[in-house]
Formats: sequence, C-alpha cells, structure tokens
Amino acid sequence: MSGKAQFATEKIFFREAIARAVREEMRDNPRVFVMGQDVGAFGGSYREFDGLFGEFGAARVRDMPVAEAAMVGIGVGAAAAGYRPLVSITYMDFMMLGFDPLINYGAKLRYKTGGQLTAPVVVKTTAGAKGQGVAHSQCIEAWLMSVPGLKVVAPSTAADAYGLLKAALREDGPVVFVDHKRLFPVAGEVPLAQAIVPIGKANIARSGTDLTITTHSFMTRVAMDAATLLQSKGISVEIVDLRTLAPLDIDTIAGSVKRTGALLTLEEGQVTCGVGVEVIARVHERLGPVPSARVGALPAPVSSNRVLELACLPDATRVAIAVRNLLNPVTASPRPVVSSGER
Amino acid sequence: MFYKISVPAVADVEEIRVLEWHGDVGHHFNSGDLVVELETHKAIVEVRAGQPGVLRRILSAAGNWQQIGLPLALLSDDDGDALPDGPDAVTDLAVEFEIN
Repeated sequence: MSGKAQFATEKIFFREAIARAVREEMRDNPRVFVMGQDVGAFGGSYREFDGLFGEFGAARVRDMPVAEAAMVGIGVGAAAAGYRPLVSITYMDFMMLGFDPLINYGAKLRYKTGGQLTAPVVVKTTAGAKGQGVAHSQCIEAWLMSVPGLKVVAPSTAADAYGLLKAALREDGPVVFVDHKRLFPVAGEVPLAQAIVPIGKANIARSGTDLTITTHSFMTRVAMDAATLLQSKGISVEIVDLRTLAPLDIDTIAGSVKRTGALLTLEEGQVTCGVGVEVIARVHERLGPVPSARVGALPAPVSSNRVLELACLPDATRVAIAVRNLLNPVTASPRPVVSSGER
Repeated sequence: MFYKISVPAVADVEEIRVLEWHGDVGHHFNSGDLVVELETHKAIVEVRAGQPGVLRRILSAAGNWQQIGLPLALLSDDDGDALPDGPDAVTDLAVEFEIN
C-alpha cells in the first residue's frame, strides 16, 4: 500500500464511524456481538448500528428489553465466558443500573481470579444534554474514572470514535465508551484503511501558547469555538482533547501545560469531583503550582426547559470569560457563577 | 427563468450527503416529482418539485456533502435558456420535502 493510500480518508457521519468499527471487529472476531435496546432491525437509537443486524443476524445483534442491569450483567458474564460483547446503554443516566455487574464484577474479575478470567466487555453509552431533561442528559463519566480495572474513553470526532471503539473491542478488560447526543449530527474524515486509536493517548486538537484547555467529547467543539473567540482578542489557546479519561494521558497534558503555563479544564458534567479535578491534581503533582480553573455545568440538574438547560451548561462565551479571568485576574470581570469551584 | 434547489433546513442537521438524483441533466420534472434524496445523520429527506422544471446542472453529485441552505442544482423553465454563471442570484425552486 502506498503512503498516500494509507492516509486516504472518507467523510462519514459520526454514527457511521461507530457502525464501521463494530462491523469490522465483528467480521474479524466471531466472538464480538452487540446487545441493547433497538440495536437490531431498528439499527440503534442513533442508527449507529445500521446494517449490522442484516449482516450478522439476531444471534450476534441482540435486541434487549429495557433492563440495563440485566444487559450489563449478561455482558460481563458472556465476557468472562470468552465472548467480546458490546452492550449499548442508550442514555448514560441508566448506566447507573448496571454499575453493580460492571464495577463489582467486570472491573475486578481479572484481579479477583488472579488473571484466570477477564471481562472484555465494552459498554457503549450516550451522554450529554439535548432537551431531554433531568434523567436523560447527564455526563457521569467522572464517576467511572476512579474504578480500578475500568477504562473510559470519550471521543469528539468520527475518526476517534472509529479508532477508539475498535481499540475498546480488542481490550482484555471492561471499557466504557462514551459518546454524546450532540456529536451524532457531525460528520468527519475517517481513514479508509483499518486503524485503531490507542487507548490512553490524548490529542492536541489545537496548538497554542498562552493557556491549555483540557476537555473531551462534545465540549471539545465548544473549546474550539472559545479558542476562535479568544484568538481575536490576542489569546492563543492550546486544546488537549483527552479522548481517554482512564487512564489519563498525563504526559501529553503536563507537556502542554508546561509549555503554556496555565490550565483550564472544561467538561459538561459537574466540576465537583469531576474530570477537571483529577487533571489539575495530576498536573500539580508533575509541575507544581500552575494557574488553573475549572469550567463545567452549574450544580443543578439539567432541565428539559431549553432556557434552563442552556443556563446550566458551559458554552464558548463562558469558556472565553473563564480563560480571560484566569490569565488576567487583576482586571478580570466578575467571575461567572459557572466557572468553577463556587460551591 | 432559472431556479435553484438548496438543502432544506432540517432541525438538528448541519450538513447532508446527497444520496440519489432522480433524473439526469435535461430531465423534465413535473410538480410532485421526486428530484433528489438527501441523507441526514438519522433520516432520508425526499425533495420533490413544487413546480415543473428542467434539470440543467447538478452542483452536488450523489455522494457529495453540502451544508444546510447551500445550492444543489439549477433548473429552468425551458431546455434552451443559457445557464447563468452561478446559483447566487437565482430564485429558489418551489419544493416540498418529506423526512423519512
């Protein structure tokens, strides 16, 4: 294969990147199968499993009742028995029902059995707010980062969704793959040749010199918009798209912060015990004190009322204000209530 | 007179992929005929002619991507009219669209 062909890409929808990753892994490994609500003939809630039922049939693309605890439990059990299930939980909020099998059994199985058993299960789920209210909008990926034995990935592009899902389906322990409702309308360039994105590697999505923003998933797009706003004010922002939350790529993060000298963390979830807390603590361990701040949701449920939903969530303007306040605390405008650590 | 077909505004959609043109350049469409199918991230949008017209130039072929509101094709009342330089000054063709 020529170098050019190796790097050739095609533009596809985010959902198609997911379907392609699963299809390729299912073709390569007969032990990979999919289970979840509406994953069969319907093709997935976001059509992200389109075509799989037709190609692989009902035995490998299994529709399930609305029973998340059972789905994750069966997935962990099937993984222990040698399969590689992908369990689809449509709303991340309802992963809570599957925490017992995932955290008490799946994440600990290898340790508990002295390496005799592993649980290579992928729990794919969709986080984020898009008008669906208090129990269909949450981003709880930070809760999962503290579980030993669990890996957590959260891509922001079609290419990373493709490459990370393939990597997740080849892992020998449980992986939680978090996508986002607002990423599904997005399309992006994906390599034509099969490729994985390694778990545990962040990506510098934009280079800059004045400050580093670490973020993940849909908020990477918000950070990019904020960086464009700030560029017009003469502030150069570097954006580290974490891609993997557990394990964190502290080398890339700290390398960036060492160059820029300041750190803003951005997430759609809560800032208390959030992803940003862990990023800032790890950077502090590496580099010592660095000016830093967190931006996340207000400490409130996400309403289905659009005005309240928008009020709760970070947007590019809030990020830009937080960056300016962090870089210039003396002349800063009053801190926006959403910026960080106000509780 | 010339007309253009643009990507209709569909809620939540940023850009579409052209799935299929239902006629080649020179094809006469009648009111109600299916002209083009567009693919969004979750649906197929059928664009139907709201008035008769001749397909004169396809600006976005099947498989190509286009943003909401941007032109897909030029049509005219008659076969013979000379094509305009571009779609910018051209009026919109009356269309009906259905999301499936």
